[in-house]
Amino acid sequence: MRVDVVMPQLGESVVEGVVAKWLVKAGDAVSKDQSLVEISTDKVDAEIPSPVAGVVVEIVAKEGETVPIHAVIARIETEKEAAKPAEAPPPKAPWDEETEGFPGAMARRTEPPLPSPPRVEPSKAPPEPSPAEGPKVRISPVVARMAAEHGIDLSGIPGTGIDGRVTKKDVEDFLARRGAPATPSPVEKAPPAAAPPTPRPAEPEEDQVIPFTPIRKRIAEHMVMSKRTSPHVHTFAEVDLHKVAAIRAKAKETGVSMTYLPFVVWASVKALREYPYLNASVAGESTVLKKAIHMGIAVETDRGLIVPVIRDADRKSIGELSKAVEDFSARAKARRILPDDLAGGTFTVTNPGPKGNLFGTPIINQPQAGILRMGQVVKRAVVVDAGGEDAIVVRPMMYLCLGYDHRIVDGVTANEFLFRVREILEAGVFSL
Amino acid sequence: MQVTYIQAINQAMHEEMARDENVLLLGEDVGVLGGAFKATEGLHAKFGSERVVDTPIAESLIVGAGVGLAIQGMRPILEMQFIDFISCGFDQIVNMAATLRYRHGGQASCPIVVRGPCGAGVHGGIYHSQNPEAWFFHVPGLKVVAPATAYDAKGLLKSAIRDDDPVIYLEHKFLYRRIKEDIPDTEYLVPLGKAALRKEGRDLSVITYGSPVHAVMKAAKDMAGEIDIEVIDLRTILPLDWKTIRASVAKTGKVLIVHEARRTGGIGGEVAARIAEELFESLDGPIVRVASKDTHNAFATSLEDYILPNQEKITEAIRKLAAY
Repeated sequence: MRVDVVMPQLGESVVEGVVAKWLVKAGDAVSKDQSLVEISTDKVDAEIPSPVAGVVVEIVAKEGETVPIHAVIARIETEKEAAKPAEAPPPKAPWDEETEGFPGAMARRTEPPLPSPPRVEPSKAPPEPSPAEGPKVRISPVVARMAAEHGIDLSGIPGTGIDGRVTKKDVEDFLARRGAPATPSPVEKAPPAAAPPTPRPAEPEEDQVIPFTPIRKRIAEHMVMSKRTSPHVHTFAEVDLHKVAAIRAKAKETGVSMTYLPFVVWASVKALREYPYLNASVAGESTVLKKAIHMGIAVETDRGLIVPVIRDADRKSIGELSKAVEDFSARAKARRILPDDLAGGTFTVTNPGPKGNLFGTPIINQPQAGILRMGQVVKRAVVVDAGGEDAIVVRPMMYLCLGYDHRIVDGVTANEFLFRVREILEAGVFSL
Repeated sequence: MQVTYIQAINQAMHEEMARDENVLLLGEDVGVLGGAFKATEGLHAKFGSERVVDTPIAESLIVGAGVGLAIQGMRPILEMQFIDFISCGFDQIVNMAATLRYRHGGQASCPIVVRGPCGAGVHGGIYHSQNPEAWFFHVPGLKVVAPATAYDAKGLLKSAIRDDDPVIYLEHKFLYRRIKEDIPDTEYLVPLGKAALRKEGRDLSVITYGSPVHAVMKAAKDMAGEIDIEVIDLRTILPLDWKTIRASVAKTGKVLIVHEARRTGGIGGEVAARIAEELFESLDGPIVRVASKDTHNAFATSLEDYILPNQEKITEAIRKLAAY
């Protein structure tokens, strides 16, 4: 078999050598270790021994030629079939002057990937992180500083870092774009007065790709997780709110404005005390009946849905509940809801408002067990009992929908709870 | 003119010895042989045995005698045949040379240069592959330099010889004959304490020195379309050029430190700590280091590959940090 004779590395920093004098020629028989050639480097001169016994078949490098280390300078045909190469250094690329002094010969293999950089937790992390909030928000020091300096709300900026982190560049780009609308709208709003009578939305020229903001990402992940976790069942009740309406009207006369929401919350809270399985969580294979009632109130903001929590809602009067709801709405508009406001809820009431349609089937706010959705208040003709006889009257009616987790709440419990909420609302007796 | 890194070092010594008759050279095999790597070739022939001294194999003697000569007004260059052996001269450097100014109230100084080949990548094994800068980084009174280019090798050695304080000059043996550069024919100096901005960039700063500078530059070039990398070659490790470092970190917000010396206790830790302290609010990601594993250098190629930083590891780290 054919064996290559290569230019050896004759010193630690030697990269090439000069073929000074061949001591054999093509056709010569040589024994193992017989000197084949004299090599000269700037450090040493040496004779190179033959790696095998055999016949020199080819002289590759000429006398006087400068050859890089490990390059072939001659070839020997040996009788041995044994697969024992004398030196056989791995073939390496000769030193390339074009690369910036870093020879390809020293190319190294990769090592296992480096561990990921450590995660930076936001400085305002809530003390009991609620699983309902999804992945943590990463805010790096420079991003925090720039947000403070420019008064930016980071949740409104799409993030291009890992897990959607808002990076320094994202903030810089946002600041550069500021002035232009943050979320481009494909729809032209209806122009005022001197405009065509039927304004139509302008057709977009192409598909609009809007990267998820951190808040949208959280919502998306939570909704999927909730549906996957809890087998949702929904039950509906129709509530006659005429007595509540009367209380509202009376309060309005004294200048106090209240929506139906605090009333529904108050009724829910009372019912939850009677049906604790709706104020619960699943922990592994156990039901945890929560001691306190912390009522989540779903609030829609221009950035998405958030659910601030009224703590110990069972200890609050209608008036206090109303104030708390107003405070949340105002702060949500001003983007001043804190992480602490969002933590620890045990039940949620959601009120879509005057355009909320009749009823809907809400998704449970994990890790809770139930959620109550209000509908539009519609004046209907209903049949009531008037002194033992049926009569038709006009009443403000609302559908309530209870969504519940059928792992721990069965139909009977859920229905009785909802029935009780309705009962309390229709009874019209509250601690104001 | 075109020179290799080792030729640049040789030229620096020739020029400084010709310029100032107080400059001497002491070391093992530096004279007649011209040095184990031929770094001191031609000096003995030109300047004679009085100025180029072949010493016994005793680094404590070499450095100790050098300190004595320095006190007497000489400017000795003290070669460690492999920088690994500097540990034998450690006491003379750390307790004698570094403290001389302090002990004499500034009235005397110790203008020695302790130079020698450092670094791995040549199958040198344990005793011929070390990077000792961390040991001396901790000692006030010393200066430590580590050139990565032939240009800097010459300019920094000339400056080191002219400096009135002890300078540890770390020439990387891997670079000796592997880089060839064009350097000016006329005289020039490279100042101590000043880093070189090898490449400007916006996305990420790589702070490095010595042999890895070349792998970093190659990585930066290969990733040019993907990530805009800024490369700082420290050149002087002690004192560090904080002005250059600060400006870069404030601009990019992301820092990768690369050195061939081991990770734990390597000077990268000090750089990272001080950046975190002083430039915390400029940071857009964690400060990451690529360095040799915390083990002794190996002889086998496969183990050297595993232990040492290389372009692939640097590239991987840059990608991860840029994506943070």
